[in-house]
Amino acid sequence: MATITRPTPAASTPDPIDPVTALLPTLEYQNLFTSVQVRTAPDWGVPINQQTWTRQAAPGFSYWLGKIGDAQVGPIYLGATGVASLIFGFTAFEIIGLNMFASVNWNPIQFVRRLPWLALEPPPPAYGLHLPPLNQGGWWLLAGFCLTTSIILWWVRTYRRARALGLGTHLPWAFASAIFLYLSLGFIRPLLMGSWGEAVPFGILPHLDWTAAFSLRYGNLFYNPFHMLSIVFLYGSTLLFAMHGATILAVSRVGGEREIEQITDRGTATERAALFWRWTMGWNATMESIHRWSWWFAFLTTFTGAIGILLTGTAVDNWYLWGQKHGLTPQYPATIVITPQKAQDLRGYYQGTPPDTFPGATRGNGAVRLQQSTPVLQTPAIGNPAAGAMPDASTNASAQPNPAGTATQSPYPGQNPTVPMGAAPPANAGTLPLPKGAPAPGYPQNPANARPRVTPPPGSARNEAPLQGTAPSAKTERRPQ
Amino acid sequence: MMRRRSLVALTSLLALAGCQVGKKETAQLGYRGVAEEQNIDVSNERTVLARNVALAPLPPAPPNTPVGRWQNVQVLVNLPAGEFTRTMQAMTNWVAPKTGSQAGCIYCHNPANYASDEKYAKVVSRRMLLMTRDLNTNWRAHVKLTGVTCYTCHYGAPVPRAGLWHETDQNQYLRAYLDRSDVRVQSYTVPPTSANYSSIRQADWTYALMINMSNSLGVNCTFCHNSRSWASWQNAPWTRVSALYGLRMTRHINETYVGPLGTVLPPVRLGERGDPPLVGCATCHNGVHKPLAGVSMVVDYPALWGHPGPWNAKTPADTAYDGIVDRRDAVSGVPTDSSSFRTPDPYPRSRPAPVPPSRATTSDAVSAVGAALGTIAMRAAPAGTELPVSGPRLVARTP
Repeated sequence: MATITRPTPAASTPDPIDPVTALLPTLEYQNLFTSVQVRTAPDWGVPINQQTWTRQAAPGFSYWLGKIGDAQVGPIYLGATGVASLIFGFTAFEIIGLNMFASVNWNPIQFVRRLPWLALEPPPPAYGLHLPPLNQGGWWLLAGFCLTTSIILWWVRTYRRARALGLGTHLPWAFASAIFLYLSLGFIRPLLMGSWGEAVPFGILPHLDWTAAFSLRYGNLFYNPFHMLSIVFLYGSTLLFAMHGATILAVSRVGGEREIEQITDRGTATERAALFWRWTMGWNATMESIHRWSWWFAFLTTFTGAIGILLTGTAVDNWYLWGQKHGLTPQYPATIVITPQKAQDLRGYYQGTPPDTFPGATRGNGAVRLQQSTPVLQTPAIGNPAAGAMPDASTNASAQPNPAGTATQSPYPGQNPTVPMGAAPPANAGTLPLPKGAPAPGYPQNPANARPRVTPPPGSARNEAPLQGTAPSAKTERRPQ
Repeated sequence: MMRRRSLVALTSLLALAGCQVGKKETAQLGYRGVAEEQNIDVSNERTVLARNVALAPLPPAPPNTPVGRWQNVQVLVNLPAGEFTRTMQAMTNWVAPKTGSQAGCIYCHNPANYASDEKYAKVVSRRMLLMTRDLNTNWRAHVKLTGVTCYTCHYGAPVPRAGLWHETDQNQYLRAYLDRSDVRVQSYTVPPTSANYSSIRQADWTYALMINMSNSLGVNCTFCHNSRSWASWQNAPWTRVSALYGLRMTRHINETYVGPLGTVLPPVRLGERGDPPLVGCATCHNGVHKPLAGVSMVVDYPALWGHPGPWNAKTPADTAYDGIVDRRDAVSGVPTDSSSFRTPDPYPRSRPAPVPPSRATTSDAVSAVGAALGTIAMRAAPAGTELPVSGPRLVARTP
């Protein structure tokens, strides 16, 4: 026995028992909610031949779900891959949650208060691709494995269910594009970079902070052309979604919601919708092709994004400079005129992994003492010849490499004889001894946090091959010979 | 109809719930079109300024007093006795004003023997005097010709008002003040090279440090950076140069003056790991980009200059940043030196004074701002503090 409730036209009194319709009496056809609900014997679906499990859970109806979708809930087909996916997904969820809980000393109040900031971090970069201890990122690896397994099993499930119903496999392949982005961020790119530490942490705000830090590290991801493409397709997807959804809702009063039939049997709804778009933008998609547009935009959002991620740090280390090199970024007048003397002071003293930032070995020899001929990050600027000519070691005495080598220089400017950044305090410094060169007492006190400063061995290539002679330009790759 | 209006009103309220009410202004700091600007919460500006009010100078010392003959004076030597006493009185007002029996001179001194070093606070004060002179002489690339006094950080309390930190697991990034000469993580080349292995987590720490600085100064990122390339100097506002020396100065303070105090300070002043409190940007800045709203107090206290004077005389260390020091007269703001580092001053000193606010104290409005600024503890101005009738605005509007 089927009953169909449908609100009466706007001119008459709205249906008093429908609170949503009563609240919005004049929005009948620009409806915000599904206004038609079907009540009948639940539909178990079409019979199919190949199935290893049976459909389970007797279907029922939900009024409120019917407001935003189909009122019928069920039946459910979980299947072997679905069950396995849920188990792995639950395991990953538990590993992440319990690690976060442990990070606040199992304090439930702090867990709730700090949950947005809690994280399960990947291993420190020092471990490279080696297996770290559990509390040094090992749990992250386990959680990542379980989550990845869960997602891939869910993909298999979508593929097999689509095949079992005789559908095309459009949906699994669109899903696969998103999985490709996920794998690029958390697995493929860390493999290429040789460090699990490059991967994304689990956590609500930490993964967003990672995104910001990723762009900061690699010189502004906005200049990554594949990032641009991804944004184009992402925003394009929202635009297409809005256009299509609005069009179909607008013509639903003349039967436009029967899109599929109208692909082959074009009715007045299609005619009107198509004419509307020809009037407003001169051309229209069809009832079929609009869905193809949507599918490709959705697919390409994550696919181009993944390519952009895979190129970052592997092929391009600074997207802003890449944009400069290829004429992508516009030039603006310089605010600061950099003379060689100033460049000497502004460019910093180190670049790379600081020796005592992370425990254990790091790739390479840790921090690199920048040679004095290393240029400041230069961008050609309009009307500023001084800036363009800046790295000119031959005419600038202070840009010559220090003949004494780097080992004699203190890492701190206050103790650097060549750069008197703040004089040493006078000898009569009260009753306090001033240990020269020794780490100041008081920090770090905890031996577990005391990290020895690692000096590059004298024979190492990095220390022996300073960038002498002609100063490299921004386009020159500074690789030790 | 009524219900529809209610619905619209309710939806609008929900949508605006995350916004700060009050007037906002934007000051352009760099070339047009590149979003180099500072957002100013005008309705909050008075509150922030009231937390950063400089003290009026003490009356000048009587002239022509002979050099005092004190015992165990190691820093303030060769000072006329009048100026010495005046400086001591000023330091007392700035750090331990007499309220009750515990402060005043005896906060540092044994009243029976002023020469004794038995109180740790006196040893610390001597160290801080050295630091103040060092900063005023050798760190003008950051403190400019405004300079610092004890009051810049202490603001009338023995423990500085804001921004002190102890090492914890959560603020590991602050060790960048100590362990790394600079916070750079970006490469100077397009392709990856072996010159830069900075990890994303390092970039995250740099990011955290920058947000700490941003909160400490009450400014947004583009106050110092061009957001299209954070590492670019040429397209950055010149405030970034000042900030660079600020970072180095903070590191210098922590290494040379504050860090070694761990052997002197009593346990109650140490952190849970036994480390002394270290300073951060907020220790001086306290939410404004110019401490005490840019008013120079040290110009009236020659004992704290660290050089013979006059106050704006060139010091040997200035040559290290030749062309970078903002060489203007501390009082008149008139440039006293020409340099190649000439860019438009985004905050010129000659500007119309704001409308004089009514007499108001601000102890009530501080907590919300302090909470918004997260971990940086703010302290209200002492009760009864009058707002400056004519003072510098936080940021000048570019014409």
